[in-house]
Amino acid sequence: MKIGFIGLGIMGRPMALNLIKGGHTVTVWARRAESMQPLLDAGAIGAASPADAARGNDLVVSMVADAPDVAEVMRGVASAAQPGLVAVDMSTIAPAAARKIGEELAEAGVDFIDAPVSGGEVGAIAGTLSIMAGGTAAAFARAKPAFECMGKNIVHVGASGAGQVTKAANQIVTGMGVLAVAEAFAFAAKNGVDRSKVREALLGGFAYSKILENHGQRMLDRNFKPGFKSWMHEKDLNIVMQTAHELGLCLPGSAATAQMFNAMVGSGMGEEDSIAVLKLLERLSGQE
Amino acid sequence: MKVGFIGLGAMGRPMALHLHRAGHELAVWARRPESIGDLPARVCATPAELGACCEVVFTVITSSADVEGVALGKDGLSDGMAPGSVLVDCSTIAPDAARRIAEKLAAKGIHLLDAPVSGGEQGAIDATLAIMAGGDTAVLERVRSLLECLGQRIVHIGPNGAGQVAKACNQMIMVAAIQATAEAMRLASASGVDRALVKAALAGGSAGSRVLEVMGERMVKSNYAAGIEARLHHKDFGLALEAARRVGVPTPLAAVVGQQLNTLMAQGWERDDTASLLRVLELE
Repeated sequence: MKIGFIGLGIMGRPMALNLIKGGHTVTVWARRAESMQPLLDAGAIGAASPADAARGNDLVVSMVADAPDVAEVMRGVASAAQPGLVAVDMSTIAPAAARKIGEELAEAGVDFIDAPVSGGEVGAIAGTLSIMAGGTAAAFARAKPAFECMGKNIVHVGASGAGQVTKAANQIVTGMGVLAVAEAFAFAAKNGVDRSKVREALLGGFAYSKILENHGQRMLDRNFKPGFKSWMHEKDLNIVMQTAHELGLCLPGSAATAQMFNAMVGSGMGEEDSIAVLKLLERLSGQE
Repeated sequence: MKVGFIGLGAMGRPMALHLHRAGHELAVWARRPESIGDLPARVCATPAELGACCEVVFTVITSSADVEGVALGKDGLSDGMAPGSVLVDCSTIAPDAARRIAEKLAAKGIHLLDAPVSGGEQGAIDATLAIMAGGDTAVLERVRSLLECLGQRIVHIGPNGAGQVAKACNQMIMVAAIQATAEAMRLASASGVDRALVKAALAGGSAGSRVLEVMGERMVKSNYAAGIEARLHHKDFGLALEAARRVGVPTPLAAVVGQQLNTLMAQGWERDDTASLLRVLELE
């Protein structure tokens, strides 16, 4: 397949590389030209603009920071649209923003799929991302071979926006999960109990989770290198809270969790992994 | 002075009338012309036309987008207002939006004063609003006599946006106090104690407040007719929480209160008074 790829950051670069490895012809574009070099070295074609990355291709994929960035690159894609083009955005943005972008692309005759991912940099490199997609079944079927190069658990959730709704739900669970494990560890430590033993005991029961296992271990190692930066988790939880505000949804746990990440960003911990919320709890409880 | 007015709702209409009564020459524009009614004013066809015939224009409208549209959109105020004229925006909008609008108007030599108000419809009718102003001192001084027709407490908070920050602070305190009052009333009733007596006793002590007096009374009487429509507090709370996250300030109480307001909206009580936060507690 001929695929355009826009956005070559921590996630986008390995995802594009996996498409090349999968035998696809990949054209890349990134705002900063130096981000494109590793892909060109691996055999990708360089594009001069988002429109150029879409032109003549079967599929165009974006992996950028936020909704305005997605809207901007997709305007470029729409300007170069040819019949049958499928545009896929794998960034994490608000469901309402994704639906709007989908509508604008539809006017230009382009099918749109919102397909945010979970699994982080490790999953992007290994090609084991979870991919949650929203859009028509026909467009999903056409994009699926590309998804299979980048991820393992690939689910077509529903119509346009459904992928982003799923990702927001994912961030609710992971955000509260990280905070829950950090609170359990702060609780154990203030009670004078060895938290590594607590983790070990809990792994066998109903409190087991990947977050307790992986993030919990990194908390014990005090390894706060990202991973997933806390400012990005804050951004994602803000999508959740904005959507809850618009729809009239009561999400007290998410609201409290979003405040903790907000405090992390405000106190200069935004570039650290979201598990650094443990350090914030320790500071608040006089455990430093 | 020739004064323009846009936004003739529950707040705007009495404010416009006060300016008229003080002897100012009034011009108005309204999205829905029927809202003008018998107001003694020149009626303009567009915000631009209004801007062209006024030295000072007031806006009292709902959202950041509405203010941006009226000020900067097609046939907007900025197409008509002369350099040196002043837009006084009494709406409650995001501090960032106020700063953005001020910057764009400044490029045409037009001054913005963000001047949100507190005191509700009754305060607007009685001309006792609290006015929190953001903008240049000289600009505030030029319109101070007009503001004095509307309220008694006029505080210059700082540069553009600062008035809206103060309003966000006002809403955080006020709605949290409504929530606290609702929880106290719920505790009293659930314990078999008379709400009215609890409220009467508290009014004399350290928990006494204007919110307890006004909203507490509505709760005692289960009278949820607005007052202040809860949807407006809900909107303002969204602005306040967003302003807090922009500067990385944790506001854990406001976050929880925001969820109670979301619940209120989900129950379809958006046009009722915010005292309905008590009804939210009664759902549980």
